[in-house]
Amino acid sequence: MRTSSDVPPIDAQPWTVLVASARGAAHGAAGLPNQDASAWRVLETLGPPLVVAAVADGHGHPRHFRAERGAHLAVEQACACVERLADQLLVGRSGGELEAFARETLVPSVVQAWRRAVAADHAASAFTPDEEAIRAQVADEPVIAYGATLLLALLSERWLLVAQIGDGDVAALFADGRVETPVPVDPTLDGHYTTSLCQAAAVDSFRIAVIDRAASPVLALLLATDGFGNAQASDPWPPAVGADLISMLGTRGMEWVRGQLPIWTERCASTEGSGDDTTVILAVHAS
Amino acid sequence: MPGGGVARRPLHFIIMADCSGSMTGERMQALNYAIADMLPQLAEWERDQLVAQVLVRVLSFATTPTWHVREPVPVGELRWKPLQAVEGGYTNMGPALREVAAAIGPAKLENRALRPAILLVTDGRPTDLGNELAAGLGALTSFPAGRASLRLAIAIGHDAKSEFLDQFIGDPSVPVIVAGNTEEIAERLVAASIAVSRLSEGGADHGALVNQLLGTGSVGPKESEDHTIV
Repeated sequence: MRTSSDVPPIDAQPWTVLVASARGAAHGAAGLPNQDASAWRVLETLGPPLVVAAVADGHGHPRHFRAERGAHLAVEQACACVERLADQLLVGRSGGELEAFARETLVPSVVQAWRRAVAADHAASAFTPDEEAIRAQVADEPVIAYGATLLLALLSERWLLVAQIGDGDVAALFADGRVETPVPVDPTLDGHYTTSLCQAAAVDSFRIAVIDRAASPVLALLLATDGFGNAQASDPWPPAVGADLISMLGTRGMEWVRGQLPIWTERCASTEGSGDDTTVILAVHAS
Repeated sequence: MPGGGVARRPLHFIIMADCSGSMTGERMQALNYAIADMLPQLAEWERDQLVAQVLVRVLSFATTPTWHVREPVPVGELRWKPLQAVEGGYTNMGPALREVAAAIGPAKLENRALRPAILLVTDGRPTDLGNELAAGLGALTSFPAGRASLRLAIAIGHDAKSEFLDQFIGDPSVPVIVAGNTEEIAERLVAASIAVSRLSEGGADHGALVNQLLGTGSVGPKESEDHTIV
């Protein structure tokens, strides 16, 4: 099993970002790549530095035969969009205004940028005859081949903004030991079907959450593709996993957690766990 | 590892077994033999694939439904205790469907559970009065896990193949499996149980399943999970 946490994380004050990803055992057995992707950046803005982080999960169904590329394009374009809009995102906005800006401006920009990037990829690399045969069989638009989820987070000293389409999990870990899943549940996600960037209604399918750290001091934010949550023995898992993470960060420290995260991720992706591609970003505040 | 460790995804597999009066004798004996024969083969399939932990429940039904195995049991741990036919019992499927719906309804299954698999085995047509049958099926498909459940039916004898079983399956591409005689029950049950489990796990499409049921496909471990769009 291969991890893609080989790029050393860069500390960004006040947030430290830890990343790990592992190919699912089922994908390994089938000779498929890890179809998850992750990216994060520190954004230099007019104010304090911001961190943007994203994970994406390319759909495993054969009709999404370019899902791996779709996932990579998703995290790259999402981070780039936030970077372009960073100076507008937080300046003088309330939580409600930030959410409205995300829904009306950021999310449409991300979807548009992803579709544009997909079109460019398809233009530069036309479907092979085998790929075209699959596409023609189901009469899909080319963009469907690139289908992926996206979990995007913007982290500042005060505000946390999360936008999500499709499955996967976001957990907010608070300094007082509480754990919340801030993104509204989507009842259409049943473990087999998911909403996706490749759908016509993608913009409307995004779910958005805003957390004000002034009111609720978040210690860490966890973004994970569904291979992580589907591997957890505890049900529901966020309270148990989140509470342990808070404790581990306090007693063992950041570097220990940084060293463990790839090991945990590989266990989730193994035949003992979900067997699915698993990617985790854990952003930890310096407080 | 934070939390309670890792585990495979639960695959809830429910057998709805017709125990009406007409099953008395050779048919019930054959069904018991078939289930006892199926369980180790399903356990072997579980070991061969990479994602699911199969948890079995069994509901017997006649005039009224009764859980024969009420709590989900890992397939490798289930020791088969024979079903008994109910003398003079009717084939009332509506209440049985409602019982299954209650068992897998909202908040009853783990969030990370795979789609439930339901296998209905019957030797007769439904005897439900009024709209009981439709109400039962309506209850089962009134919530996400029930709608998403993968449903197969085995008809013991050609007479048992009814329009209702097609409605129960809910997919025109998937036929009712007919066991023409008692000797065929075990073979059909093994094929159907692995097929429905494999579908739930996500490694085969319905077309492949049909081929398999018609004997033109093969039963093997799944090779990739198959998330797709709503």
